[in-house]
Amino acid sequence: MDFSGAFSWVNIRFLLEGLWVTVQVAGISIVLSFIIGGLIGLVRFAKIPYLSKIVGLYVEVIRNLPLLLIIFFTYFALPQIGIRFDIFWSAIVALTIFESAMLSEIIRGGLNAVPNGQMEAARSTGLSYGQGLWYILIPQGLKKMLPPIVSQFIALIKDTSLAVIIALPEVTHHAKIIYGQSTNYVLPMFVAMTLLYFLVCYALSLVAKQLELRFK
Amino acid sequence: MIEFKDVNKYYGKFQALKDINLKVEKGQVVVLIGPSGSGKSTLLRCINGLEEITSGQLLVNEADLHDKQTNLNDVRKNIGMVFQHFNLYPHKDVLNNITLAPKKILKLSQEQAEKEANELLTKVSMLDKAASFPAMLSGGQQQRVAIARSLAMHPDVMLFDEPTSALDPEMIGEVLDVMKKLAAEGMTMVVVTHEMGFAKEVADRVIFMENGVILEDSPAKTFYENPKEERAKQFLSKIINH
Repeated sequence: MDFSGAFSWVNIRFLLEGLWVTVQVAGISIVLSFIIGGLIGLVRFAKIPYLSKIVGLYVEVIRNLPLLLIIFFTYFALPQIGIRFDIFWSAIVALTIFESAMLSEIIRGGLNAVPNGQMEAARSTGLSYGQGLWYILIPQGLKKMLPPIVSQFIALIKDTSLAVIIALPEVTHHAKIIYGQSTNYVLPMFVAMTLLYFLVCYALSLVAKQLELRFK
Repeated sequence: MIEFKDVNKYYGKFQALKDINLKVEKGQVVVLIGPSGSGKSTLLRCINGLEEITSGQLLVNEADLHDKQTNLNDVRKNIGMVFQHFNLYPHKDVLNNITLAPKKILKLSQEQAEKEANELLTKVSMLDKAASFPAMLSGGQQQRVAIARSLAMHPDVMLFDEPTSALDPEMIGEVLDVMKKLAAEGMTMVVVTHEMGFAKEVADRVIFMENGVILEDSPAKTFYENPKEERAKQFLSKIINH
């Protein structure tokens, strides 16, 4: 087999363009799902009347659906009721909906893991519930949450590959187009994808390790 | 200063406090004792609103705690509380454990808050540990820091919830010494404790509770030497002879 043509300049560039889309979609989804998941986690932790029940239902429903279905739903079904996103934003919206539900559970669990006495001590000095959350519970909870949050972020990066199904021009999609040209390119492209996904995810876990050390 | 009027407290169907009537005057030191589950900690925790009473009236510094209009945060500013398990903030050093509330609530400057914190640390003999984290301190040291943290808000009342029960016997004395100092300065104190020596020395009154009811409310000396209630006699003989 002749693998030499696989890594032509044009192909490498095309692959990296795909990687850039992967990174953008993942990056935006990470930020959005962390914010939304954080808010949901806080609402459920604080047991805010009504709201807590509503977002609880959201989490239960979303957690029990396959991400693929949510991606399809966002791209194909929502336009029929007038909610239309392009491919790029459909992927982000679907990932955000799915991952925020996952993250909210991690965040709620992390806050629950802080002993009750911490909030009581804060309240007993006159701090409000919000101040207790912000100065006492969240900093302690974050420390406990950091490893599972990072795992969830890494899962999110990998999940972007599912958006290949709506032809998001990310790295898997671009690799597919390249190896579609010649069976000689199949193995090299899969090796290249393996490396690229690994590098991006591993880089994130290294950053997280540094963060964890700084927290200690 | 603190007044319970016909206070009842339920957890679901379980009645933790039954028709509590109790008045604590300014400068008094009141010790609450009784078997576990008697409601003494619940009673204490009602005073700063960590537990909500179900019915009756509870007045603290003229604020009605059961009234929805009452801002509990304001009431709590003036009530310090010390817990069995210290509950220091593990992610903050000793100094920042103490300065957090004064900075956020009393709006003290960093400098002023630190100055006051250092004075309090001197008072509890912990100044040399100002930069330590709670995990590096012994139980007795943590509890003394916790007392300093409560005092930093300049409370008029201090609540102690079994402050020495989680301590090694050797460290109990150092915490009690700080509490005795406070009592001598005229602090109003409500203390849940079985430390009889402490109660005899500094308490004005001892309140004996069982099953959510106040069975006896006597001057400390009378209570330990000649308790009125049969149940209190039994209880005392058990805690003395073990």
